[in-house]
Amino acid sequence: MSKYFYDIWSSISSSMIGMGITLKHMFLIRKGNVTLQYPEEKWPRPDRNIGFEHEDYNVIRSRLHVDMDDCIGCLKCARACPVDCIKIDIIKVPKGSDIGTTSNDTKKRLLVPRFDIDMTECMYCNLCVYPCPEECIFMTGGPNSPKHPIDYEFSEYNREGLIYKFATVTEEEVQKYTEPELPEQPSEGESAD
Amino acid sequence: MVVDQLIEWLGSLLSWGPGSPLIFLTAVLIAGIPIFLLMAINALVSVYAELKISAFMQDRVGPMGQGPGLHAGKWGVLQTLADALKLLSKEDIIPEFADRKLFIIAPFVIFIAPFIALAALPFNQNLLISDLNIGVFYILAVGSIGVIGIILAGWSSNNKWSLFGAMRSAAQIVSYEIPVGLSIVSVIMLTGTLSMQGIISYQEGTILGILPNWIIFNNPFSFIAFFIFFISGVAEVNRTPFDIPEAESELVAGFHTEYSGMRWSFFFLSEYANMLIVSGVAAVGFLGGWHSPISGFLESPGWGLFWFFFKIGALIFVMMWFRWTFPRLRVDQLMNICWKVLIPIALLNIFGVGIWTLLKG
Amino acid sequence: MGIVHGEEMVLNIGPQHPSTHGVLRLKVHTDGEVVSKIIPYIGYLHRCFEKHCENLSYEQIIPFTDRCDYIGSMNNNFGYVVAVEEMMDIQVSEKVEHIRVIMAELNRIASHLLALGTFGMDVGAFTPFLYMFRDRERILDLFEITCGARLLYNYMWVGGLSHDLPVGFVEKVYKFLDYFEPQLKEYNDLLMYNKIFIERTADVGVLPPEVAVNYGVTGPNLRASGIKWDLRKNESYSIYDSFSFEVPVGKGQMGTIGDCWDRYWVRAEEMKESIGIVRQALKTLPVEGDVHEAMPKKIRPPKGSIYKRTESPRGDLGFYIISDGSPSPTRVKLRSPAFTALGALSAIAEGWMISDVIAILGSLDIVLGEIDR
Repeated sequence: MSKYFYDIWSSISSSMIGMGITLKHMFLIRKGNVTLQYPEEKWPRPDRNIGFEHEDYNVIRSRLHVDMDDCIGCLKCARACPVDCIKIDIIKVPKGSDIGTTSNDTKKRLLVPRFDIDMTECMYCNLCVYPCPEECIFMTGGPNSPKHPIDYEFSEYNREGLIYKFATVTEEEVQKYTEPELPEQPSEGESAD
Repeated sequence: MVVDQLIEWLGSLLSWGPGSPLIFLTAVLIAGIPIFLLMAINALVSVYAELKISAFMQDRVGPMGQGPGLHAGKWGVLQTLADALKLLSKEDIIPEFADRKLFIIAPFVIFIAPFIALAALPFNQNLLISDLNIGVFYILAVGSIGVIGIILAGWSSNNKWSLFGAMRSAAQIVSYEIPVGLSIVSVIMLTGTLSMQGIISYQEGTILGILPNWIIFNNPFSFIAFFIFFISGVAEVNRTPFDIPEAESELVAGFHTEYSGMRWSFFFLSEYANMLIVSGVAAVGFLGGWHSPISGFLESPGWGLFWFFFKIGALIFVMMWFRWTFPRLRVDQLMNICWKVLIPIALLNIFGVGIWTLLKG
Repeated sequence: MGIVHGEEMVLNIGPQHPSTHGVLRLKVHTDGEVVSKIIPYIGYLHRCFEKHCENLSYEQIIPFTDRCDYIGSMNNNFGYVVAVEEMMDIQVSEKVEHIRVIMAELNRIASHLLALGTFGMDVGAFTPFLYMFRDRERILDLFEITCGARLLYNYMWVGGLSHDLPVGFVEKVYKFLDYFEPQLKEYNDLLMYNKIFIERTADVGVLPPEVAVNYGVTGPNLRASGIKWDLRKNESYSIYDSFSFEVPVGKGQMGTIGDCWDRYWVRAEEMKESIGIVRQALKTLPVEGDVHEAMPKKIRPPKGSIYKRTESPRGDLGFYIISDGSPSPTRVKLRSPAFTALGALSAIAEGWMISDVIAILGSLDIVLGEIDR
């Protein structure tokens, strides 16, 4: 019998406490509001200061970008990708031809006529960024952030719009360096290395 | 009152004589229009209030309109209108194996209950569709027509989940009618009349000069009776914590799962209209109807309308407050509360009010 | 006059349902409202995780482990990385160990917040869900400034971490912890000690200790049934043995030991303990050190196999890795704690009503990504 009355009393008291909490939240809405009215208000990009040898840059996972001038075609990023969304073709150029140097003063030895990243397959794991010796593939907002600000709003209407083609090699260059098919000849000495 | 006046006026306008059934029909039809408008506006305002109140309680802002282009108006006031337009333009889907006739009738049956109950609610000294001398009894009786609609909706959807919701709802609404009726009995014992205007006119004046002479302040038993009435009223309307019939996380949407578009909006409309009626009867029976809290001051008909809607608004706010704070009760616990807690207390209340009145005078 | 028999109704709590925590199908045989048999059907989220691992190298598997239990991703990474490091006999520095523990415990708090929030929502309380998610967002912001991602981190690598802590991280964590501790009291007042919630969950879905052990249930579900078993204390890995914390065990405060309320209570207490662990780790965190120093150039574990288990927010997460000396494992198997919890559902939910089944399912805290892999 006493449990009956205790139950009634505890339901009323715990309900009152609960109602007090929601009422308090209702009146404190100006201070406690957590809604961000996107797209008029956007969440500020998180700043991050690593503090040592790298300059300040953001680590946010965003759209991948490749500075093709720096790419040496080592295929390390394509090998590191777990879902194989980076597709690269390379052409070996004969020794001594000049196709440019990267910004870190490395001489380029391989021509990259095709460098496609399919962002619909990308899982934003960041594993392709680390192996690159020239730091030319990164998520926007990373290194070179003044030139490439963070871009996470890159939705498209077609799937083809999200397959990014970064290669800047022209057709003539490809023709120049692609060797025509030679008949089998006994090789003696020099081979294009 | 309005119907009577309309009949006289039409009778004098046309030459068919006041007793003619045609005049009666026309008067009734004309009187039905403001009720429908009231229900529609109530839904508009209540839905907006619910969205905003629930948002503020949950630390968010709810619908806001900002920026260029089509949007929901400043502070989101056009949101409900946009919802209504969307519902009007939706495809009307009737499941293939559903019972077509019952499926189509069910929303109308549910809609009828609050529609005709609103005829007896007094908004003002003069504004009242029809001052029945069995006012409260009429509202309680007519309010339970909604159960039929719910059962029809649940059964005809040919969906086991809807059936569950309908069965639970039938048990719940029918059971909670009893505490509602018993707590109104304590009101009637004090006032001696079933008529709504009569109950309100009983509550004129003050107690001890300060408190208004509302029935809720009359004696401690009627104070408890108000809470019993309110809690049972919330259960009648199927609102959390008693919203088992449409429990969103269990039954998807309960008895109105299969309804879409305009048919669904009838259920929605009638839920808010039911809330209006329950709050209205509570305001009339316990809180003095259209009397102002400071008796004698601000008692003109215009202010009367304002006080009535103010009290209804406060009670609807409390219903919404309940919804966003409490978890939901299980069916057998719900029935437990009704039969083992609310009904004994309501019976004791009747006893108490009777003894109090006897001892007092 | 014979006895009138009703027929059993077969109800389908289908793959698309507001409260099955993912795509889970439950076939429920009921007699009116009372359930007589439950059969779960899984596999709607199967993504061939274990088959993928046979073709990926060890460091490429880490983003995939994230996606199994997507709510407690740091703990998945942790379990996998600890297993591979033990196979290769790599010792990581103190700084890396401390940071790993901090991240794993913060993720445990985030995961429990989600579990309790969705449990409340299943029972009908919509508001605590939103409050808990608001606090979870702050933890996710902390993770965002560290590694850039909010849900699937790829943060713990074999032999170290992917990024060092940013400048100002420690102050931000202290600020968060000071803000969060009073919130726990508010959640308790709003939901845990609310009489309606107690009525819904006390004495409901009691999991007796023997049944739990027989089904292999671990984690907070097991601890709520009264058995004190926590891998962070019993089979300590990383540096958990240098921190002092309690292991909350269900005491049947509001009903029987092992009911839904106890499972809720154990998770709420664990959040408090995790806050304590993070504070201790922050105090002893070494400032100097390179997080990449112990990372091997090529990850080629020696031939052999290992089974290593760690404590994820859902229980006992086990990784069984077979290696044959090549850069890619022969077999990776993930032992999922939510799988066994779901198995125990049919044992404990029979005889209750449908609303109770939903409440029990919410209290077991399953994640379909982990069950189906």
